[in-house]
Amino acid sequence: MNISWIEKNTFHYSEFSDLSRLVDEKQRKNLKISLCLPTLNEEKTIAKEILIMKSELMTRYPILDEIVVVDSDSIDNTRKIARGYGADVYNAAEILPDLEKFKGKGENLWKALFVTKGDIIVYLDADIKNIHHRFAYGLLGPLILFDNIKYVKAFYDRPISIGKSKIRPTGGGRVTELVIRPLFSLFFPELTQILQPLSGEYAGYRELFETIPFPIGYGVETSMILDIYEKWGLDVFAQVDLDRRIHRNQDTRALGRMSFAILQTFIKRKIKLGMVDYKEKLYNEMIQYNLIKDEFKPDIYKIEEHERPPMIEIPEYREKFKRIS
Amino acid sequence: MDKFIDKLPGFVDTIKSFQETIITNIVLIGQVPAPTFKEKKRTSVFMERLAEFQVDECTTDGYRNPIGIIKGTSESKPPIFVVAHLDTIFSQDVDHYYSIQENSITGAGILDNSVGVGVLVSLPEILRKLGLRFESDIVLAGVIQSLGKGNLRGIRHLLKTWATPIRGAVCIEGAELGRLNYYADGMIRCEVDCDISPVDGWEHKFKPNAILVLNEVINQIMKLRLPQKPRSRVIVGKTSGGVKHGTIAHNATLGFEIQSNSDKMVKSIFNNIKDIIEGTRHEYEVDLQLKTLSNIHAERLKFNHPLVKSSVAVMKKLDITPVSGPSESELSIFLSRKIPAVTLGITQGENYHQQNASVAIEPIPKGIAQVIGVIMAIDSGVCDEHQLD
Repeated sequence: MNISWIEKNTFHYSEFSDLSRLVDEKQRKNLKISLCLPTLNEEKTIAKEILIMKSELMTRYPILDEIVVVDSDSIDNTRKIARGYGADVYNAAEILPDLEKFKGKGENLWKALFVTKGDIIVYLDADIKNIHHRFAYGLLGPLILFDNIKYVKAFYDRPISIGKSKIRPTGGGRVTELVIRPLFSLFFPELTQILQPLSGEYAGYRELFETIPFPIGYGVETSMILDIYEKWGLDVFAQVDLDRRIHRNQDTRALGRMSFAILQTFIKRKIKLGMVDYKEKLYNEMIQYNLIKDEFKPDIYKIEEHERPPMIEIPEYREKFKRIS
Repeated sequence: MDKFIDKLPGFVDTIKSFQETIITNIVLIGQVPAPTFKEKKRTSVFMERLAEFQVDECTTDGYRNPIGIIKGTSESKPPIFVVAHLDTIFSQDVDHYYSIQENSITGAGILDNSVGVGVLVSLPEILRKLGLRFESDIVLAGVIQSLGKGNLRGIRHLLKTWATPIRGAVCIEGAELGRLNYYADGMIRCEVDCDISPVDGWEHKFKPNAILVLNEVINQIMKLRLPQKPRSRVIVGKTSGGVKHGTIAHNATLGFEIQSNSDKMVKSIFNNIKDIIEGTRHEYEVDLQLKTLSNIHAERLKFNHPLVKSSVAVMKKLDITPVSGPSESELSIFLSRKIPAVTLGITQGENYHQQNASVAIEPIPKGIAQVIGVIMAIDSGVCDEHQLD
């Protein structure tokens, strides 16, 4: 096991805070960079993300070439506000409209590949309360400065927001510690060096993203890591400490459903890689129980992780980006 | 003066084109909690941002007020100060993360005084974009320990230790756009603590309740006859006390301010309240302590002082209706040191001291143009011949 990776490829965002240097190097390498924000009802946080990124990384330092919002039919004002603050806004369903329609974060990330122009794409969740431009330049730093790095993940000290106005200093990452880390330890010990594999903030080169499949839901982060690892190995990865990230807390039941989707993705990947031979049918329903009066009643959630093929297999994409499958 | 005043409406559009960065400064600094006496983190972010905008000098004074200096063209003209207080009334564990909507920013402390501080930090870049240079150095100071028990210590120290004369000053507050403060009332800010021993003693047949004792103090204060001239008032602004609904309160605190445009009247009312406290202490046999937190003398610019007249002209040129009133902020310390100064507001807001305070984004460029107009007026010499009497 390559355990030196964590020492070589782990950074702190402050190592990349010389933004002029990033601009110079980006220009020297003639790179285009896109920021993509996948959204679903994020009217409370979207404006701040766009505004800060635009001010600091477009107007003051020309690091980003575009900010693209890919929305999953929000019923609030997300799209209107995002457009008002100058982002290019798309409704996911209207991108590649002839394909079967799915809804999910992974779907938005995948479709972003079709509408963005960048050689590098930065994906940030749109619900970050303490958004700061370090979230983008921290991820971009290793990609711009080091030729061998092709994919960068964020990790944090992650406090979670509890109630209306109080912040708890520790917590978060329960699915990582209870699901992903045990799985990686069992099957891919090298990958345990990625401290927060489920963090929603990452960046990478288009040439990687376009050649891997995207599950449409919660499994997208896990599958991305497994696929990139399988194709290019751990040395193309880096991880960056982005300090603190304040996000919404999710209850245990919601995390249970998230874990279900991740396990589904993981097992499918294992089967695909020929690492396990599973002969029985995998069920696609997560069953949780409620005690109503004196009776236990099941809540059944159908969680089917549909998967989009590598974008490069889509003819419209190949034509638009002049790619050969 | 007419020369520069005519340019002001044109400034608004240029400032607007830079609005994203101004809001970014407001948000990045305002999201760092800064309760009075604990402004260190916000001070660091303030300094970082100032340094980012390549202000000529960036430092802190001996009291840790962060300061940026934009060098002027003249060696001999005294500096012009632009100040905004850094501290807020909110504690560190309150959520300070702001939400931006189509035309508003919402969050704790946004009005008092994140907008003011964010605008202050943005000034070097705004002035550069407008192509403005001044004869005087412009000293941008984010002063600490301003509110409540802070008692304006930051600005007091800054001015006390500043080595050279000061030409004039503008104090920036988030709201309201249109405020024009050029006088400060005399003020004494006090706290009364009532403590009752939880141990039963022989003095009390019935144990007194600290909240009810303070209630009696309030009743006595309300009975004071206050004159309309000199204009005087007592504001009961804060109370706290007790532990739970069904238990007699052993501790309670009352905060109030005596305000008047006559120092003599402030002193006289203070003495009356002191007597009330003494009397109540004896009558109820409780520990009742009166503490003075802050004391400000009544100072003013005359309404026809050229700085006031210029400020009115600047505001009118920008279609802002000036509204004057007293201010007990940094302004009073400038005036007490005979430095001509005004306080201006940047935008409109609501829920002033609530966690969900919010400000309108659209008026901000106009509010900033107004501040720049007044700085230009001071730089043109309106304060030079008319120092305070």
